[in-house]
This record gives sequence, C-alpha cells and structure tokens, in this order.
Amino acid sequence: MSDFFLTQVINFGTPLIGLILLLGALGLPVGASVVVIAAGAFSQQGVLDWPSAILIGLVGAVLGDMLSYSIGHYAKSWTDKRFGNSPTWINASRSFHKSAGLAIYFTRWLITAMAVPTNLIAGGSGYKFSHFLLYDVTGELTWILLYGGLGYWFGSQWELVYDFISNFGRLILGLVIFGFGIKQALNWQEKKKHTANLATDEK
Amino acid sequence: MSLNTPPKQRAMVIGFIILGILFTVFFGMRAFHSYKKFNGHRPPPPGKVETDVELIRDWMTISFISETYRVPERIFYDALQIPPLGNHDKSLKDLNREYYPDTDGFVLETAKTTILAHQPPSPTDGSAATTIPPPTALPPVTP
Repeated sequence: MSDFFLTQVINFGTPLIGLILLLGALGLPVGASVVVIAAGAFSQQGVLDWPSAILIGLVGAVLGDMLSYSIGHYAKSWTDKRFGNSPTWINASRSFHKSAGLAIYFTRWLITAMAVPTNLIAGGSGYKFSHFLLYDVTGELTWILLYGGLGYWFGSQWELVYDFISNFGRLILGLVIFGFGIKQALNWQEKKKHTANLATDEK
Repeated sequence: MSLNTPPKQRAMVIGFIILGILFTVFFGMRAFHSYKKFNGHRPPPPGKVETDVELIRDWMTISFISETYRVPERIFYDALQIPPLGNHDKSLKDLNREYYPDTDGFVLETAKTTILAHQPPSPTDGSAATTIPPPTALPPVTP
C-alpha cells in the first residue's frame, strides 16, 4: 500500500502528503510514517518543497486526529449508556484523564500504533477538546519534524531510518504493554493487602 | 496477583505481561539489528549525485530516477524500448506489468544497468564510479 502512495507523492507532491496523513490519522493502513520519512528525503533531493510539506502534512494529520476525536465524542452517549455505570470504565476514564496529555503527545510520534485508540478514548471520555488539540498539534509537529528531519538528513538512505524507527516504536509499545500488565498485578496485590488489613482490624 | 481476582481479569493481565515480553524481545532484537545497519551509514554529502543503484525501488518513476541519478529520461525509455508519452508518472512496477509481464523485475534491472552505463563521472575522482555490466538482451515488447 505504501509503495503506491510513495509513487503518488512523487507525482502529485505535497497535497497528497496532507491527504495521506489525514487518512493515516483515521486509522487507515496507508504507511503514514513511511511517507513522512520519505517526504523528508524527497525534500532533500529537491522533489518536494519542505516548508509546504511540513505545513500541509501537519494540517492533514491534525484534521484526521480531530475527526477520530469527533467519532469518539459522538459515540459518548452510546458508551455512557453501555458502560457509564461500570466501575472499570469510570476508573479507566479517570486514569486516562490523569495522564491524557502525555498519552496524546507520545502516541503521535513514539507509539503511533496507539494514536487512533487514544483519539477515540479522548473523545469518548469527554477530554477537553482545546487540551486535546494542544497536545495533538505539538505531538504531530514533533513527528513530522523528527521523522521528516531524519529522512532529510539521510536522503536516499531513508529506508534504514524507517526500519529502525518502526522497530523501536514497537519495542516501546511492548514495554508499555508489559508495564501496564505489571501495574495491574501490583494494584491487585495492593488491594489484597488492604482487604486483609481491614479484616484484621475488624477482628 | 491475588487469587480472588476474577479469573478472566487474571488471564488478561498475564496475557498483557506475556505479550509485552514477546513484543519487547522480538522488536528489541530487530531494533538492535537495524540500529547496527543504520549506524554504519553516513548521510551523503549535500549536493552529491546518488550513485548507489541498489537504492532504486520498483515504486519509483523514471522521472524520479532520472532526477536523482542525473541520467536523462530519454535514455531510460530508449533502453526499455517504450514511448515516454503516458509513462512519465508510472512506477517501474507498473511499466514492467504493462510492457514486460513475462519478465519479472526486468524494468528495475534495466534501469539500474542504464544508470551504471550512463552516469556522469564523479567530479572528485574524475572517472566513472562503477563498472558497466554486460548488456542484457531485451525480451520482446508486449504492450
């Protein structure tokens, strides 16, 4: 899929980068990160104009994120009806809100596989839109400047950069999943201790 | 993890931990290998004409390759025995599918050979950077 889009970026230039990043932000498998790195390399080779590539790419990515946030937002009434009384959902929403800024920022460029679910949760849990937009724009700008910059720096050897970045991103995702599992296990351990203490106090 | 934790949730947490370990080990190794490859390469100096034909991919177009390797487009079309008209924005893969469906990768290989044969000499060493490979016989064109 990304091969097709790379050919089209060569042919149609920056407007297509905006469209690809918009589709990627909606969760479609268009290989948005590949395109950002390649766009950096194409700018270095003189095929693309880098200021307009950054601007149009950023607009496309942010628009896509706003759309997926909206999907979550409009599904809020359904999720509230379905899970509103569930303590797990309430706890999950509460803990998301506590570190939402970091989650939004880092899922834009470091753990990109989690970007769309984060947008949906942010919209669905009623996270303030202005805050979402602030972290989103900062994160997307980091993504475009960092990935695109590496592509620009390495020019025609940008595939090596992509290979490393994609594996590194998944490694971080693995660490996050592992950390989440450990945190849950520790929480339960703590809860068990607390219940045991209460029972001893009552005796 | 407590034994009175619901079994479904316990299984889910164990699943998360195992999945996390698998992801970390697998992609950690892959990231390490790609870092080693990545670390051995240095960016080409600014303004340098690309000479490494192994970087050509079949999603590239002839005009893009021509620009990158500074070899006139006409030479590629002549080598491939195809008209430039209507083929300007097609990828090498599409050209191969259209003109040489029976010879996989023919257009890509011809593009590489053409560059090696026609690349302008490097200004630093004053000689052609690479040797010219033996000419390849063209298969008949099937439009």
